[in-house]
Order: sequence, then structure tokens, then C-alpha cells
Amino acid sequence: MSSHAQSNNIQHLYEGDQSKLYSGVMSHHSDVASPESKSQVKKIWKVFWILLVITLAEVVVGMLFSYSLPGWAKAIFFLSLTILKAGYIVSVFMHLGDEFKGFIATVLIPLFLFVWFIIAFLADGGFWLRMNDQSPARQTIQHVAK
Amino acid sequence: MSQSTVVTTAPEPKLWAGGRSPFNVSYGKMMIWFFLLSDALTFGALLIAYGTTRFFSTVWPDPNQVFKSFPFMGESNLPLLFVSLMTFILIMSSVTMVLAVHAGHYGDKKNVAKWLLWTIIGGICFLACQAWEWTHLHGECISAWSADPAQITHGLWGSYTDVHIPVNEFRHFFSPHSEAVQHVLNNDPLTAMQATHNFFNYFFTITGFHGGHVTSGVIFNILILVNTVNGVYERRGHYEMIEKIGLYWHFVDLVWVFVFTCFYLL
Repeated sequence: MSSHAQSNNIQHLYEGDQSKLYSGVMSHHSDVASPESKSQVKKIWKVFWILLVITLAEVVVGMLFSYSLPGWAKAIFFLSLTILKAGYIVSVFMHLGDEFKGFIATVLIPLFLFVWFIIAFLADGGFWLRMNDQSPARQTIQHVAK
Repeated sequence: MSQSTVVTTAPEPKLWAGGRSPFNVSYGKMMIWFFLLSDALTFGALLIAYGTTRFFSTVWPDPNQVFKSFPFMGESNLPLLFVSLMTFILIMSSVTMVLAVHAGHYGDKKNVAKWLLWTIIGGICFLACQAWEWTHLHGECISAWSADPAQITHGLWGSYTDVHIPVNEFRHFFSPHSEAVQHVLNNDPLTAMQATHNFFNYFFTITGFHGGHVTSGVIFNILILVNTVNGVYERRGHYEMIEKIGLYWHFVDLVWVFVFTCFYLL
């Protein structure tokens, strides 16, 4: 595959295989035994170990402390580790970290809708619990909790 | 045309001046990213609906009680172990996929085929685990409170719709350690039953939707493995298709990371 930034005749490339239109960041290598290739493979395995350790940490906390930690502490712990794992997968395994900044932003910015989604819908759930649940058992719970 | 013939002669202009893809990605790769973005919104909607329902429920089944079994271990209490195995399998298959993509960047046909094969094996193992877990949970939901098998209409895939179902049919899904939860089970079992019903409906819907993605991912992987072995990508001069299917496969892994947190940990 070739780089076409300087090509004078690119019209034919718009027909048929469009993937030739880009000179992908990672697409012009030839020597699989090169130090560059080896360092990339090393990075992949490093991320694998990081993901494994994070998952094990989550499982250990889930097994040992799921009844002793308060709900909010568990939520912060698990959600931040989840986002960290997601970051590694997207930036290294999916190579998004190697793309152009503009493309990274194009993919990531729409996801910020989730910030509003999560706040709005969970708040709504909490609101309905307060409004709806007037059952005697619920009042007993509140009594027991006090 | 082989990949080794490429030499970039001049530095690329910093600002886009036409004549090439502005983001330096091909049409197909950009579109798979946009597809994944829309798929992320779908999964996000399902998970947020699950969260909303959970927030408006007085009680909720305890994952450490629901997911405590391991194949061939009988009644042993092994919370989270099986799902950890599933998570490990999926992360591992993501690694083999990224190694296939890496081999593709170097036009290394033999290694692309090798790592794709491992990815397919990992995907099938994950699906087998999920099949076991589904079967097991379905069995946990239907037990013989009625002597007449014709009356066992409750608990099918966790759908508890009959108000006469005794509380002991779903008590084992809840935390035995919480006084408040036990209070609800004893005094307002229907609230607990509704929560059980909702929990399993979301569980089977979301893991099912995810499992459907894994299934189609395995099928795509088999297709590109066949193409690789037949030399389709070698003739084409690049292995970009491996990259595109790889993006899909990593996305499926990514979704599992969130499903794992929402259903099994929190």
C-alpha cells in the first residue's frame, strides 16, 4: 500500500478499494522481526498483564469486601477500574491512540452523552423509588436502618 | 504490490490539503468506528435501563449469591470464579486478535492465520461458558414447588410472573447477610419477586445481546481466516480487513468489561 499524499493521479483510487486512500500509521512495515515490531508485541503483552491484574483486583475485592464496603465506595472502585480497562483496550488494542487527534475526538466526543444519560436516568430511578415505594416493608426497612 | 515498497518521500502536510483521507483512515475503517459508536450507544442504553430499574427497586438480587457456581463443583460457594474465567478467556482472545492485526501490518500471513485461529477458539470457549451459565441459571429459577409439572410456568429464564410463587423459590438469590433485605423477603415478598424478575430479564437480555455479538464476531473471524489462508489479503496487498474485524472483536471485549462490572461486581 502506498502513501498518496504526493500522488498527482489519485482519481482511480476513489473507485474500488478505498483503503488504498490512506497511508495508515501502521501499514508500511515489512520486517516482522524488527525491533519496532518486537516492541509493539511487548506492549500488547504488557497491556494484557495490566488488564489481568486489574481484573484480579476487582474479583478479589468483589469476593472479600462485597458485604463490608459501603455501596458508594464499591461503585467508585469498580467503575474507575472499569474505565481504566476500557481506556487500555481502546487506546492500545484498538489502536485509537495511534490515530490522528481529530479522529480520536470524533469517536470519543459523542460518548460524553453518557454523562448526562447516567446522571439523568439514575436520578430518575431514585426519584421513583422515593415516590412509589410506600409499602409497609419499606417503612420497616427504614425503621431497621435507624 | 507489497507493503515493503512504500517509502514516504516528503513529510505529510500538517493541515489537510486534499488528496488523501483527512484523518488518515480509510472509509471502511472510519465506518466501522462509527458503527461501534452506535453499538456502544445501544449497549449503553440497555445498561442504563438496567441501572434505572435497579435504582428504583427496594431490594436487588445479590450477585455473590446468584453467580456462585462453577461447573462440576456442585453446591460449593465460589462467587465470581466462573465469570472471572469467562473474562479471562475474552481478554485472552482480544490479545490473540491484536496479535493477528499486528501480523497483518507486516503482511505475515502465517501468523495472521495462527492468531486468528486462537481468537476463534477463545470466542467459542467464551460462548460455551455462557451456554453453561445460562442453562445453570435457568435451572436455578425453575424448581419444583408445584408437584404438577404442567403448573411450572414460573421462573422460565427468570420470569417470575405468578404472585403465588413461594418466597423460598427466589430467596436464594438475595443476600443472607442483610437484615433489611431479609425483612423485605419476609414481609413484602412480591417486591423481592419483582426485583428478581427484573434482574433476570435484564441479565438475559444484555448478556444475550452481547453473546449475539460474540457469535457474529466468531463467524466474521472464521470468514477472514478462510480469506487469509486462501491468500485473498496477500493478493490485495494489505490486511486491513483483519484490522476492521479486530476493532469489532475488541469492542465486544470492551462491552464485556462493562457487563462484568454492572452485573457481577456492583
